[in-house]
Amino acid sequence: MTSRSSRTGAPRTRPRHVVLSTAAVALLALSACSSGGGTGGSATQAAGTGGAAGGPVTVTLATFNQFGYEELIPEFEKTHPNIKVKHKKAATSNEARDNFFTRLSAGSGMADVEAVEVDWLPEMLQYSDKFTDLNSPDVQGRWLDWKAKAATDADGHLIGYGTDSGPEAICYRSDLFKKAGLPSDRDSVAKLFGTTWESYFEAGKQFKAKSKVPFFDSIGATYQGMVNQLPAAYENPGDDSITATDNAQVKKVYDQVVQAGITDGLSAKLQQWGDDWTASFQKDGFATMLCPGWMVGVIEGNAKGVKGWDVANTFPGGGGNWGGSYLTVPKQSQHPKEAQELADWLTAPEQQVKAFKKVGAFPSQKQALESQDLLSFKVASFNDAPTGQIFADRAKAVTMTPYKGSHYFAINDAMQQALTRVEQGTSPQESWDKWVSDVKALG
Amino acid sequence: MTVQSPAQPPAQPAGPDPSTPGMPSPAAHGSAGTAPAASPAFARRTPLAPRSGWRRRLTRLDEKGAPYAYVSPFFILFGIVGLFPLLYTAWVSLHRWSLIGGQGAFVGLKNYTDVLAQPYFWNALKNTLSIFLLSSVPQVIAALLIAAALDSGLRARTFWRMAVLLPYVVAPVAVALIFSDLFGDRFGLVNHLLGLVGVDPISWHKEVIPSHVAIATMVNFRWTGYNALIFLAAMQAIPRDYYEAAMIDGAGRIRTFFSITVPQLRATIVFVVITSTIGGLQIFDEPRMFDQYGLGGADRQWQTLTLYLYQLGWTQKNFGRAAAVAWMLFLIVVLFAVVNFLVTRRIASKGSR
Amino acid sequence: MTAPTLTPAPAVRARRSARLVRRTQASRTAYVVLVVVLLASAFPLWWSYVIGSKDSAAIVQDPYSLVPGGHFLQNASTVITTIPFWKALGNSILVSTTVALLVVLFSAMAGFAFAKLRFRGRNGLLVFVIATMAVPTQLGIVPLFIVMSKLGWIGSLWAVILPSAVSAFGVFWMTQYLSEALPDELIEAARVDGASTLRTFWSVALPAARPGAAMLGLFTFIATWTNFFWPFIILDPGNPTLPVALQQLQAAYFVDYSLVLNGVVLMALPLIVLFVFAGKQLVSGIMQGAVKG
Repeated sequence: MTSRSSRTGAPRTRPRHVVLSTAAVALLALSACSSGGGTGGSATQAAGTGGAAGGPVTVTLATFNQFGYEELIPEFEKTHPNIKVKHKKAATSNEARDNFFTRLSAGSGMADVEAVEVDWLPEMLQYSDKFTDLNSPDVQGRWLDWKAKAATDADGHLIGYGTDSGPEAICYRSDLFKKAGLPSDRDSVAKLFGTTWESYFEAGKQFKAKSKVPFFDSIGATYQGMVNQLPAAYENPGDDSITATDNAQVKKVYDQVVQAGITDGLSAKLQQWGDDWTASFQKDGFATMLCPGWMVGVIEGNAKGVKGWDVANTFPGGGGNWGGSYLTVPKQSQHPKEAQELADWLTAPEQQVKAFKKVGAFPSQKQALESQDLLSFKVASFNDAPTGQIFADRAKAVTMTPYKGSHYFAINDAMQQALTRVEQGTSPQESWDKWVSDVKALG
Repeated sequence: MTVQSPAQPPAQPAGPDPSTPGMPSPAAHGSAGTAPAASPAFARRTPLAPRSGWRRRLTRLDEKGAPYAYVSPFFILFGIVGLFPLLYTAWVSLHRWSLIGGQGAFVGLKNYTDVLAQPYFWNALKNTLSIFLLSSVPQVIAALLIAAALDSGLRARTFWRMAVLLPYVVAPVAVALIFSDLFGDRFGLVNHLLGLVGVDPISWHKEVIPSHVAIATMVNFRWTGYNALIFLAAMQAIPRDYYEAAMIDGAGRIRTFFSITVPQLRATIVFVVITSTIGGLQIFDEPRMFDQYGLGGADRQWQTLTLYLYQLGWTQKNFGRAAAVAWMLFLIVVLFAVVNFLVTRRIASKGSR
Repeated sequence: MTAPTLTPAPAVRARRSARLVRRTQASRTAYVVLVVVLLASAFPLWWSYVIGSKDSAAIVQDPYSLVPGGHFLQNASTVITTIPFWKALGNSILVSTTVALLVVLFSAMAGFAFAKLRFRGRNGLLVFVIATMAVPTQLGIVPLFIVMSKLGWIGSLWAVILPSAVSAFGVFWMTQYLSEALPDELIEAARVDGASTLRTFWSVALPAARPGAAMLGLFTFIATWTNFFWPFIILDPGNPTLPVALQQLQAAYFVDYSLVLNGVVLMALPLIVLFVFAGKQLVSGIMQGAVKG
């Protein structure tokens, strides 16, 4: 026995005991903590607290990015004493989307109120039976038609209450325009851009003749504005079959934007949200861009120190919307009634205006667009542009909701890749052909 | 995006193992097993015959049953959280399965044949292999050299050894942010520095090989120090007499390194190569975070197989096909691991004296 | 490979000469290499600190500068008050410690069995363990979520701990390490002395495994600490781990990277503290394991 212990030298028992006791403590503490957190967490999803028993009902709300609800939630809880709200925030829309679809697929774990971005809404509409129909006389006519229609399924069920929207105008660098000898105040520039894509690109050519700075950031971003004006770009609204590759309108838009961006050289070839695009704001990367309301904040942040950004109250093709979200109530929820109440309250015009004032989330509610608070809103760094008024006008100018079916996301992604390829040097025809085969591979 | 955290791609920890070729056959030591219960020494301690019989049975039970008891915690845990996902994925790959819609019709191997017919699958395979080679080879070599440096008599040994592990503690999201900033095509720091020495800017996000180099750099950055510490542990087990003998013979440092250190480490090298094969073929986070879209490039310049399967499953919602890619990747990984093992075992046995 | 017992004199001599050999081997090349490695390794952390100590305007306007701004503590306090920092820190410590302990324990047990015990199906099982590492885990999110849901563990820290505690690599590692670091003669001697398997494991295998186990524990701790995606999917925002909580700093159309990277530094600090404590333990452990022959 003694021979063994002399061999290994170092005091081996002490570290082992330390290890053991740490383990014990950790496990004890863990079971205490997790039972608190666990039951708290799962209770809201599984059993449901209170409700019938008379105690407060806890409802979970899942959002992403910035909805501006931080101060609204305590207000809601005060005016609705029987409902407590737990707010779960994902950082980006993509993360929220991954989480959303994982839990939808697994059949459990979704929040009572789930925020959904308009980009992934179409896929959800295919499975609208997994969501509560939120139609009610309260909310009739609350939103702009195109906003509500996008969340209404084929059977007329409204599965999402609109929160914010992204009506688009055109943001531009007034100082660069001045340098190029072009009009630089908002109204004249709006006239210069005109109301069609042709006139916008024409203005671009004029600008290019007198300036080294590219006209817009990328053909992908510009394409996005154009394709959203086609009533049914990629799929057949009737049966959700894929018609993208045969749609002459899509090809026309593609050719048009490639002509303007590449052949006429108007594009800066900076893909949005990339590091180069972000850095380019400080380096005169481009002079104009299609601009939803929330982009103003982004430009402000990226272009700190750069003077001259402004907004022109026009949009080629009439009106455009980029972004915007909805609050939905999945059928997984144990408290659909309270969840609907919360969603209803949060998306009421008054609350949305408050959110706008806090984080710039532009309302989609008709009444909100009339609010004085909104219409008098100005952005100092944008040359005191009355963005409230401008985007309200733009919101009203949106006439239609494009049809987006269950394959929209994948097809559009493929198209964005095709356009990026062209900007990276691939020939437009070759890139188009690749896109066609990508789309065909989906089916 | 990883479900399990600890030892994830590309290289995994290994202990010093100079003699066995490194693959899972610890039976190399082949001791005649355990001392039999009826050894004379044992019998001497058990004076009463009936008691010895009972003891003997218990000991035999201990010998036969204990191993299973010792591996069971792992396997039980695995049975709960590891097995079901495996079986589920296999099940999904045999059906038409939409991520949201759920299970569709049974289609047998159709998902597999569909995927093999896709040029993007082969493109992803090519990218995966390319990035794997660019990351594993320099990494193993660099880790060896760094370990050698750490093994020598240094001042403040702990400091240097832990310094090497610093990249591992920075959150992957930050590493991705920093590196994609560095490798920005137009305004990135690397191109900026290259410009200072007169080199044209490289299109890191446009061209295939530069993108692979950039991603391999991210991977190498994160894991080289980790592997260096593994080699270091192995080096610590090399008996110092060998080095003494070498010194007495007058061998220089480099000679010592190649004639003594490396051969003794051969098994660990094999181990690291195999585990980095498994991990390196499954790289996901780095290529995903290389640009803002996470799809592997507009022309799939750097789309690895795991990115491809993620795109199939989550963008196209084609869960069935994604599962098929997952299982094919599994087969590819196993194939490469086995090939690597056989090749390096051949080299190891040829080399050992 | 080595005799089970050592008489003191050769052992002491070996240790002395080992130290001698090691000391005389430190070369200038070694230091140069290590300084380069140190600079490269420390660079991201340094840059994170630099950006984490500026304000967001300074970041956009002066992207290449490597000089820190003066706002680190200020940004840090913003970070700590914006997200549930202390709760997340506590959770991360709990989760990482538990996972590290479980992985080391289970891997040592299984590794001991695979390396030193003979039983039917040993090779097959070991190959199976290794093969499981070859299956990509991305799709496993959905079935794993289903499992957690059936167990009622959505939002619970157990849902993060248990999947991480299954480490095929840990088992593989301990198997390899023990097959080399634990001479069969030691085990035979224990058996001869009448020890049960448990006693052998406890008194012989574990001490021999200490260096390898310490390394495994440290690596596992760090990996669990920085793990983001699965905790993000399964946990609730009121009960996050650090990476999940820090991600909330990116919840805006315009991300303030000074806060994000400040958070990254804050997250790395406890690990660096761990290095200081564990590093010494580790190094001496590694060196002790070497003195065998």
